Amino acid sequence: MRTGKSRKLLAAAVVTAVTTLLVPACSAGGPTAQDGGKVTLRYWAWAPGSAEEVKEFNRTHPDIKVVHTDAGGGDQSSAKLLAAHRAGNAPDLALVENPSLPRMIVAGAVADITDRVAEVKKEYAPGSWAQTTFNGRTYALPQDVGPMALLYRKDVFDKYGVEAPLTWDDYREAAAAIKKRDPDLTMASLSTDNWDWFAAVAAQAGDDWWSIDGDRWTVGIDGENSRKVMEFFQGMYEDGLVATDPILTPTYNQKLNDGTMLSWPSAVWAPGVVHGVAPKTAGKWALAPLPRWDEDDPTVSFQGGSSVAVTAGSEHPEEAAEFAKWLNASDKGAKMILNVQNAYPAALSGQKAAIAQKPPALMPQQSDYYETVAGIARDTRPVTWGPNTDVAASAFTDALNDAIRNGTSWADVLTVTEKAVVADLKKQEFEVDEG
Amino acid sequence: MSGIAGERRERTKIFPTLVLLAGAAYCLTPVAWVFVAASKAPGELFNSFTFAPGTGLLDNLARLFSHDDGAYGLWALNSLLYAGVGGALSTLVSASAGYALAKFDFRGGRIFFATIIAGLLIPGITLAVPQYLLLSDLQLAGTQWSVLLPSIVSPFGIYLCRVYAAATIPAEMLEAARIDGAGEWRIFRAVVLPLMVPGMVTVFLLQFVGIWNNFLLPYIMLSDTRTFPLTVGLNSLLERGSGAPSLYSLAIVGAALAIVPLTALVLFLQRFWRLDLIAGGVKG
Amino acid sequence: MPNPVAAEPATPPATEGVPSPRRRRRRALAPYLFSAPAMLLYLLFTVIPIGYALVTSFFAQRRVGGGPLGTRSTVFVWFDNYAGVLDDPRLIGGLGRLALYGIIAVPFTLGLALLFALLLDTPGVKLRRFGRTAIFLPYAVPGVVAALMWGFMYLAGTSPFSHVTRSLGWGDIPFLEPGGIYPSLANISIWGGTGFNMLIIYTALRGIPPQLIEAARLDGAGEVQIALRIKVPMVGPALILTSIFGLLGALQLYGEPLMLKPLTNTISTTWAPLMAIYQDAFVLDNLHDAAAASIVLAVGTALVSTAVLATVRIAMKRRLR
Repeated sequence: MRTGKSRKLLAAAVVTAVTTLLVPACSAGGPTAQDGGKVTLRYWAWAPGSAEEVKEFNRTHPDIKVVHTDAGGGDQSSAKLLAAHRAGNAPDLALVENPSLPRMIVAGAVADITDRVAEVKKEYAPGSWAQTTFNGRTYALPQDVGPMALLYRKDVFDKYGVEAPLTWDDYREAAAAIKKRDPDLTMASLSTDNWDWFAAVAAQAGDDWWSIDGDRWTVGIDGENSRKVMEFFQGMYEDGLVATDPILTPTYNQKLNDGTMLSWPSAVWAPGVVHGVAPKTAGKWALAPLPRWDEDDPTVSFQGGSSVAVTAGSEHPEEAAEFAKWLNASDKGAKMILNVQNAYPAALSGQKAAIAQKPPALMPQQSDYYETVAGIARDTRPVTWGPNTDVAASAFTDALNDAIRNGTSWADVLTVTEKAVVADLKKQEFEVDEG
Repeated sequence: MSGIAGERRERTKIFPTLVLLAGAAYCLTPVAWVFVAASKAPGELFNSFTFAPGTGLLDNLARLFSHDDGAYGLWALNSLLYAGVGGALSTLVSASAGYALAKFDFRGGRIFFATIIAGLLIPGITLAVPQYLLLSDLQLAGTQWSVLLPSIVSPFGIYLCRVYAAATIPAEMLEAARIDGAGEWRIFRAVVLPLMVPGMVTVFLLQFVGIWNNFLLPYIMLSDTRTFPLTVGLNSLLERGSGAPSLYSLAIVGAALAIVPLTALVLFLQRFWRLDLIAGGVKG
Repeated sequence: MPNPVAAEPATPPATEGVPSPRRRRRRALAPYLFSAPAMLLYLLFTVIPIGYALVTSFFAQRRVGGGPLGTRSTVFVWFDNYAGVLDDPRLIGGLGRLALYGIIAVPFTLGLALLFALLLDTPGVKLRRFGRTAIFLPYAVPGVVAALMWGFMYLAGTSPFSHVTRSLGWGDIPFLEPGGIYPSLANISIWGGTGFNMLIIYTALRGIPPQLIEAARLDGAGEVQIALRIKVPMVGPALILTSIFGLLGALQLYGEPLMLKPLTNTISTTWAPLMAIYQDAFVLDNLHDAAAASIVLAVGTALVSTAVLATVRIAMKRRLR
């Protein structure tokens, strides 16, 4: 046995152990304390450019120091915030996706900031403001909004003599016309895990999946209009006009790159995403209003969008609210959301500033881009998200996948989803009506 | 290496050799793929044949290390911290407990050992959620302690150390030391530990790799990207890939790079393994 | 810095051969002190969490107070959560999928591990060192990284396998479709687990007395016969241990489906039982259901492992007779 060698090995292991143990001792616990009269705030945000915005705020506000952390976006962000809240180490502020906000309120994770932010209400359109206000109490400041729009390959549409569709029926006809000429092209992929997309398109058709009246919730997921929406897209899918594969996977991205994916019905943030995946296709895309259900009604809903909330445990809610106001409602902040973050600001000043902007890098040729966007934003219908959107999300996605696999009715997916959502609300002892 | 002595004179068996090589190819293919893919620029990743090398390796590496203020480097350090410190402490704790269980007949010892064996049967993962609840009540969830501390407990390590101590430490040697008047702590340090080193190296390696590869515990416990180990960090890159898809190529380079140090370590330390510990008969 | 090995104080023993009562008391205390750190940590991170989960599983959050959102408080609900868990189609479905996955993953991992270990132990097989190292290599690759690599190798757009079948005119291989997902997921764990198990079995094979095998060879037995008749029965204990590990590993399926989920619609949000538990605890903010499900799963796992161990033990006894 080579004890000498082994001894050295063990000794080395112990040295590593002791020295590295010092590392967590230094970094455990968050820096929420005041250093030298200066208030330090922790801010979690996944949006690209958030760090730059924070740097600008710190430069202009000597009394407050904001520390930005990217704690992951998407599905993770709200789960992480909730976990941190429960563990007692939540940040002072967090970016929250609008559909998750009600759940954060119910969980007691975010603070009521109605009085602290009342002065900036006038900076927002009522529809945007409504996304963060429940029963007259405001829980967050809207950062960016996603009025829905259609992003499409103008070059391919032009090639086949197809115009940007005004209605969903036109959209379907356009898909059929192009498919007939070139069967390798796909009009769009309606990913089954984008349940909020279906919710928003149902809202466009006139159905609210959740609504509050006084203290009672009404769940209208299985509504007549929503069913029609599902039947419409099932029809398109069964005729081979749209796919249902997940979007922004490598396969999907490949289709964006090689020009076989022709459109993405989504929201005004889509050009930035597509440019990130397929920069070489710049100049070939254009943005149009989302197709309508009724050709006389231009109203669209929102998809995505996020807001900044002050957490319930923050020791400096006053300063936190000040940062939130600067970031989201001030002229400077809104402009940075527009230019640095490449998002569409919720604040009106940012939206106004956008009109003077050059179009995004994906469509340098579309000179009326921001006018089109402003036009879309004018006719929006706010969505009320319920306190259990995640129940809806998994029930909807799983049921729709089953329906596609088994060839059964997509509309019945709504029945299943509504049942799950209502049962969950009742279990939590909310007062519920089925719409 | 006595078993291979007569090998030279054997006739080469072609079919079994081919089967072994097929197994090797199966195991190496994904590794080869990830290194090839790591060399591709984001645009090439989805547009060229998968085994054709790309042109973006250095660029990818630069982007990986500058992403989010050098988060990747921090993840690697965190992995090293959790696996290194956790593995070392776990080994020491297991060794002393294993020694006590093997060489002392004490009240409660049997019960303790039985609970340890029961602990072997409970998947660590089902404990992750209760551990999270407990640590969040202790205000520790979210800190690096929350990953480090639970990693120190290893029923399997204790079990192996007990087996090893029982097989390699002669009772007479302990008695002799006691008659010489040595204290128990000194006997442990000067007599027992040196004898147990080979077994401890094995336990350390098992624990190191186990903690390094662990995903669920840090995934549940941590929320600040700066405390992530590599596994959770890479997952976060991939998960955010849908919002910012250029991160896919970062995730691939990151994965390729993450394999290198651990592979080197495991291959280098292979010779120190006492796998007979696990396989059954231990001979001292 | 204390170094337990190198530091050896040169001070002579203070007392002579006969142990004093004080010393004897110390010796009685020693095993407790030696096992104290392990006991304490085990108590803290295994026993107490289980107890904590047990308590949590009997409570639930119910809404109190007015307003459309209101706030919530915790109430005692007896076995409501357990009834809910046992009645939960997500969990039941997840267990079914887990079983299907395990039926593929465990036998293949062990079968391949045994096969390669026997090949490594067969004279005349070349390139053994290379083969051993290559097959062991995946052990050093974290499961989530393995899932990431295989995920890209399954995905039609980046898969080299589908590239080949496509150019042969057979179309893409449906790795991530409903029919292919079980083998695809199992493959990831087979890939990752074969090497380690192979080494354990190989180590056990090396422990077989060479005379036994020489004698069989002199009797004219072929290598295959030797492998099946002598080697495999001799490494029985190692095989049992590796199958228990394999089983426990399969029950902990989590990271792999999580990593593949963004790539395919086939994997639902609650595909594996642990995914459902994670969703309850962290996405739906329902710790109480998650605790109940964790307890059910832990008890189930312990039962399955014990059952396997007992069956094996009975089978071994029978064979010995």
